Amino acid sequence: MIVQQLANGVFLGAVYALFALGYTLVFGVLDILNLAHGAVFAVAAYLTWTLVAAGMPLPLAALVGILAGGVLGVILDRIAFAPLRKRNAGTLVPLISSIGFAIVVTGLMRGGYGIDERHFAESALPNAPLHLGPVTCTPLELTIFATAIVLMLALSWVMRATPLGRRIRAVAEDRTAAALLGIDLERTIAATFFLASALGGAAGILTALQYNSLTLEMGGRVELKGLAVIILGGMGSIPGAVIGGFALGIVETIAIAAGFSPWRDAIAFGVMFLVLVIRPTGIFGKRALRAA
Amino acid sequence: MRHLTLTSIALCASVALILPATAATTKGPAAGKSVKIGVVADVTGGAGVYGTPQKNAYELASDDIKSGLIDAGGANVTFSVMDAASDGAQVANIVQGFTKDGTALMLGPTLSGEAKKADPIAVAANLPVLGTSTTAPGITTLGSCVYRNALSEEQVIPTTVKRTLAKWHYKKAAIIFGDDNAFTKTDGDVFAAELQASKVEVVATETYHQKDVDFQAQLTRIKDKKPDVLVVGALFPEGTKIIAQAVKLGLNVKMMGGNGLNSSQMYDVAGPGSAGVVVGAAWSIAGKYTGNASFVARYTKKFGTPPDQFAAQAYAAAQVVAALTKSGATTPKEMCDGMKSLPVAQTVLGPINFEPNRDVKSAPVILEVVKGGFTYFK
Amino acid sequence: MNALLAFYGAHSKLIDQIGVNALLALSLAISLQAGQLALSQVALMGIAAYVSAILALQAHWALLPCMLAGVAAAVAVAALLALPVGRLRGIFLAIATIGFGEIVLVVANNLKITGGAEGLSGIPNDANTLWIYGTLAIVGCVWYLARRTRFALSVALAREDESAARGVGVDVATVRLWTLVLGGAIAGLAGALNAHSAYFITPGDYGFARMEQVLVFCVIGGVTSPIGAVLGAVVLSILPEAIRFMADYREVTNGVILLAVIIFAPQGISGFWKRAR
Repeated sequence: MIVQQLANGVFLGAVYALFALGYTLVFGVLDILNLAHGAVFAVAAYLTWTLVAAGMPLPLAALVGILAGGVLGVILDRIAFAPLRKRNAGTLVPLISSIGFAIVVTGLMRGGYGIDERHFAESALPNAPLHLGPVTCTPLELTIFATAIVLMLALSWVMRATPLGRRIRAVAEDRTAAALLGIDLERTIAATFFLASALGGAAGILTALQYNSLTLEMGGRVELKGLAVIILGGMGSIPGAVIGGFALGIVETIAIAAGFSPWRDAIAFGVMFLVLVIRPTGIFGKRALRAA
Repeated sequence: MRHLTLTSIALCASVALILPATAATTKGPAAGKSVKIGVVADVTGGAGVYGTPQKNAYELASDDIKSGLIDAGGANVTFSVMDAASDGAQVANIVQGFTKDGTALMLGPTLSGEAKKADPIAVAANLPVLGTSTTAPGITTLGSCVYRNALSEEQVIPTTVKRTLAKWHYKKAAIIFGDDNAFTKTDGDVFAAELQASKVEVVATETYHQKDVDFQAQLTRIKDKKPDVLVVGALFPEGTKIIAQAVKLGLNVKMMGGNGLNSSQMYDVAGPGSAGVVVGAAWSIAGKYTGNASFVARYTKKFGTPPDQFAAQAYAAAQVVAALTKSGATTPKEMCDGMKSLPVAQTVLGPINFEPNRDVKSAPVILEVVKGGFTYFK
Repeated sequence: MNALLAFYGAHSKLIDQIGVNALLALSLAISLQAGQLALSQVALMGIAAYVSAILALQAHWALLPCMLAGVAAAVAVAALLALPVGRLRGIFLAIATIGFGEIVLVVANNLKITGGAEGLSGIPNDANTLWIYGTLAIVGCVWYLARRTRFALSVALAREDESAARGVGVDVATVRLWTLVLGGAIAGLAGALNAHSAYFITPGDYGFARMEQVLVFCVIGGVTSPIGAVLGAVVLSILPEAIRFMADYREVTNGVILLAVIIFAPQGISGFWKRAR
């Protein structure tokens, strides 16, 4: 049973990690909490669902969904954050404008899609259970897990080895110095939002597939858990978000496996609280984004 | 079954086309009088999935009263549907508005928790209440004129347990329920009490939170305890995922649940593994009561999706209202007295009236999931 | 006069909610005044609501002692919370206090005495408009009278320039602790009044969604002043009712107004007001 439970935790953690990556990227670069990340998560999933329903092959539809997530992130930045950056509004006000943006997006989606939960056609998903030793899982879960890992590796490669990654890290380090070095701040920030939101969109699409469910509030559900993840891993840290995500998934699963299902969320947030109080920089220390 | 349902829909759609022409509105004592019915429903927000079908049902009922398909005795009945956005504060504001604007009867709110906040406001102003989806214990004790046409879980679950036990002869049961929602918590508690009373051992009790999507940790734990039957105390979104994930994990046991699982889309959403799941409910989409098939057909045509239990109970409330106005009730007091002495009313839920404790007197239906919908559990 | 009474009769619930929301906004505004973002106010409100409701239901206490006991509980928990989180800053404090709020919710869902998810019903409905606005007035007066005290100046200094504050002998950590405790006290008042004017409470009433709402009150009103916080609470409590005629577009309109104020009115609603003067 314990092996199955660990596998359950790892599959759950993959989605947490992917969601938290975008969250932590924006925080690492801009020092703001983007509470519209969950709305982007949902939009990408709904768009993919629409395309699949219209007959587009799933991988292609998912790719379009991810790109659309990225574009929505750039729009979000232009509307909700860029004007505030111009007047140095601090960190609290952008938090609120991201809430406002999320409300508008959710409202528009309600108008377009209605309130009902949406599902992919069962036949579109590879759902027949596989029995790998003591673990039961579906090909879909394995694909999702592999996709999540690939996306995480891709992000760390972009951050470490590309000119864009270097620019993003420079802006995260010191915005003024980066500007003096000739880095176009606004373009770099836009690129950061594109990357972060594309990952958020990917997390949304994969979650929708894994549980075969799309709801307007699907992003709100992971938003607070995402906070716990980036705290565990250290805010702004990419490897931290990945390991934090898996850690949270496994901690939650173990809590339930040990018979504490009513207390699951208290355990998750209790661990987060303790980490904050004892070691506010998380497992990986402060600003690991700089080292990526 | 799907085939059967579709034929009956088609059949009744044609009946529906004929009916308005033949239905004659009688002229009762309330003929020509205006009666305002206040509806408070969560059309948006977290409970929008339940409030939206309610709003739809009142729109349909409103058309049907105008066309004479529902006989309201010639009274000019209007349903004023207010969206509470799943916000308790808005529910209170709306209900207070109803107490001042000439509303004769309040229908709703959508959730039991909202009812406990809002019904006392209506009670203090002598506005009668008819709840259509408030199934938690104690709702009708909130006031001497608080009624509901929703069968409570306490009324349904004993029958579910008795009938399944007679056929399945299980000894060990496991329960999974949502512990942060009044409806699913009641489900879990009442099932546990009923099973224990029936000498069934409850070997595992697991909980989850509303809007969770992953139940595999709980289900893996349950599987380890080797129950004969799994009780799913859930609303539809969580229930379908619990069932699908249980099947995936190889938890090959009988499953049953309450009103929350009563959606004809169960098989399509939860997958083939959900066939055979037993649902104790207050209404069946294939119910043979007068007007039910026509209601299902016309609702499906108007809104593009088949009605669920929330819609059916709301429509039945509109039928009760029509029965009341037909007998001449137009004021809050007359509505209250009318419900007290309601002779059996023919509704899409079947013939109903009210118990002295203001709960609905109606028989639960025990359904079994099959491809395309439900069949009666025998 | 009759028209006024009729208006009150149809809207007294909304009027009461505005008063409670204004108190909540003030409880958050205190910690914002010290440059702290403590998002535990709604959880503390919930603790006071439960304590006062349980005392009323089981021990049949009158409203005032219930309120005082609720406030005492909120203050005690706030002080206990302030000890570990006192040294956290900015977004870290915010997240730690959000976590605290989630833990309180889980506890409320699991205890017998709180009734779990089924909540507590039949709470005496004795906190009328007079009580709510009387409390608000007292809090407002105390705040006004205390605005030039050494403590208020220390709070402002701790926000504007921490090292300068230390330079003139202000114990910044203690000042922060006190703002959290005082915020807890006001949240406690709001909680007790809420429980005694809602008939029924459930853990879900005190979740993150409500905390988000209070934060929005303060920011939309203008973070710089308590008047802004109260204005924000008043305007945003009325808004959903006022735009009810928008029907299906209500949610989007709500969000657009929020975004527009944030982007085009840096000082919030109280900024308009100041400019008009």
